[in-house]
Amino acid sequence: MAELPWLYAALIAYGLATVVAFYDVMPVRSGRVARHADNERLVFSLMLAGVLLLVVTLTERWLRLGHGPFVNLFELLMSQLFSLGIIYALVYWRVPVMRRSALVALPMLWVLGLWVLAIEPKDSVLPPTYHNDWLWAHVGFGKVFLSFCLIGSSLAGVLLLRRWPLFQGWFRIMPTDKIVDALAWRFMLVAFAFHTLMLIAGAVWAQDAWGRYWAWDALETSSFLNWLMLGAALHARVSYKVSLRVGAVLILVIFIFAFFTYFGAPFYSEAAHKGVI
Amino acid sequence: MRCGLRWLGSTRFTLVGMALLAIGAALSYDNPVTTPVWVLVIPLLLLAVNLLLAIIVNPAINRRAGLLLFHVGLLSVVVLVAIGRLTFMEAHIELVDGAAFDRDAMFDVRQGPWHSGDLDRIRFIQQGYSIDYRPGMKRGLTYNHILQADADGRLQAGVIGDDRPLLLDGYRIYTTSNKGFAPRLTWVADDGLMVSGSINMPSYPLLYFRQANEWTPPGGETIKFWLQLDTGLKEDSAWVLEPKQARGTLIVNEAGQRVELQPGQSLALKGGTLHYDQLSSWMGFKLFYDPTLPWLFVSAILTVLGLFIHYGQKFSAEPLLLNSKTDKKLLSLSSGKMA
Repeated sequence: MAELPWLYAALIAYGLATVVAFYDVMPVRSGRVARHADNERLVFSLMLAGVLLLVVTLTERWLRLGHGPFVNLFELLMSQLFSLGIIYALVYWRVPVMRRSALVALPMLWVLGLWVLAIEPKDSVLPPTYHNDWLWAHVGFGKVFLSFCLIGSSLAGVLLLRRWPLFQGWFRIMPTDKIVDALAWRFMLVAFAFHTLMLIAGAVWAQDAWGRYWAWDALETSSFLNWLMLGAALHARVSYKVSLRVGAVLILVIFIFAFFTYFGAPFYSEAAHKGVI
Repeated sequence: MRCGLRWLGSTRFTLVGMALLAIGAALSYDNPVTTPVWVLVIPLLLLAVNLLLAIIVNPAINRRAGLLLFHVGLLSVVVLVAIGRLTFMEAHIELVDGAAFDRDAMFDVRQGPWHSGDLDRIRFIQQGYSIDYRPGMKRGLTYNHILQADADGRLQAGVIGDDRPLLLDGYRIYTTSNKGFAPRLTWVADDGLMVSGSINMPSYPLLYFRQANEWTPPGGETIKFWLQLDTGLKEDSAWVLEPKQARGTLIVNEAGQRVELQPGQSLALKGGTLHYDQLSSWMGFKLFYDPTLPWLFVSAILTVLGLFIHYGQKFSAEPLLLNSKTDKKLLSLSSGKMA
């Protein structure tokens, strides 16, 4: 498979970005003053390199198989590494005060990175019901949703981690807890809109593909529960005095649920939408 | 009273409704027959009441254009889904080549109590199909040919298949993976009575190893049929299932003897003569009717539009990163430039 070397190279780039990001928060003695290294540009460049290498990986596979990365878990993980990487890199570039959240976001990406290495890179066949433009919209909105969830979760992770003295230095140059919390929820709000769009596009696709817009299959049920969970969290935040810590935990729970919705369903369902390909 | 209404329209009540809906959704996973529809209907009713009251009494919603649009859109979606379930219809039908749609041939019919679609307006004739298969017998695209009457009553040819349904008077007619072969037969009884028709064999190629069926002709005894097919099926390479190009030998068990019939051949049996006219094919279709679909789509889109309007207003009114002195200082430290 010609795409595998490119995939490994992309993972190495993500790996180096992670190493450099952590190196930046390790105190280095310079004379009598402890200082931190500052390699944000390098972290960003490595992330971008990883994204570009994934573009080559996906293109190579696409040209070889004749269809996009929509069918099996291997393709799902690869394309998600690309979409999470590119959207996180964009935010890293445009919102400087958030850059230290890479210490939480990049290890999260590595869960996918290690997973994709552990599974067999099988070829897939595009089912007849996948020849539909709404599939693109559905998958695209889903990826944007998960990416914003990742960003919200990395900020939630910052909130939780910096309660420990060990990690306080890591996130010293980030805004106050209150701002980080508000920022995290803002990203979750955007995630909610894209989740809604994903459900709409998915329903239109399902109506075309299988003659019904909703059937409570594994992914539909799980993603609807995820939508309800996020909607409920947003309502809870305006109804009750949710502490910053509880808010951060809520965001992480939503992200973990979303993660299992996307990547857990293939374990108990042969295809993304069980029995209906 | 007013206090009660306010509570029913509150975000706290929304949380109760959402929790109940989450339970209902979890119980509905995979549509178990044992789960009553009320596990979804009750929370949706509560949420509809909650939405309606929130829109009326909650100034945080009705004074913000985006949030108002979002909540009105959401309420419309709930109402339209309810109307859809009351007016929907779903059914299946199998049609042999040359056969016209016949409402009496439908099976697995499910419909809402208010269904008012006019099935008599569905007029199309099945004209056969071809299906691409990839190596490993993986089904590809289906090209199902039909004839349908245009506005002037003239028949027009068309192709449907997979995610391209036939749209007729609000009905959506889909091809399915269930399809197969159908030998056309004529039975001439000893008393001169003649009956023509076809026997639908099991789904092909899914059950290619079990192409058998039976039929009891009027005045005759039950006849068991096997169909030996030559379709060019290749399990390990790409292949096109083209029933019109296929050849089929009909095997009939006559008094313990195996008799092979080719199209055009006959066999005298007890009570009459069986003619094997030709090999044909059948396609299984799914019918779906829900008049709310376009409105549901528009409502859903307006709902998201409302969200984006709200975010636009909220985010521009509260630019987060410049709200505190600390963060201004941090921004100046970072200054947006990378080291």
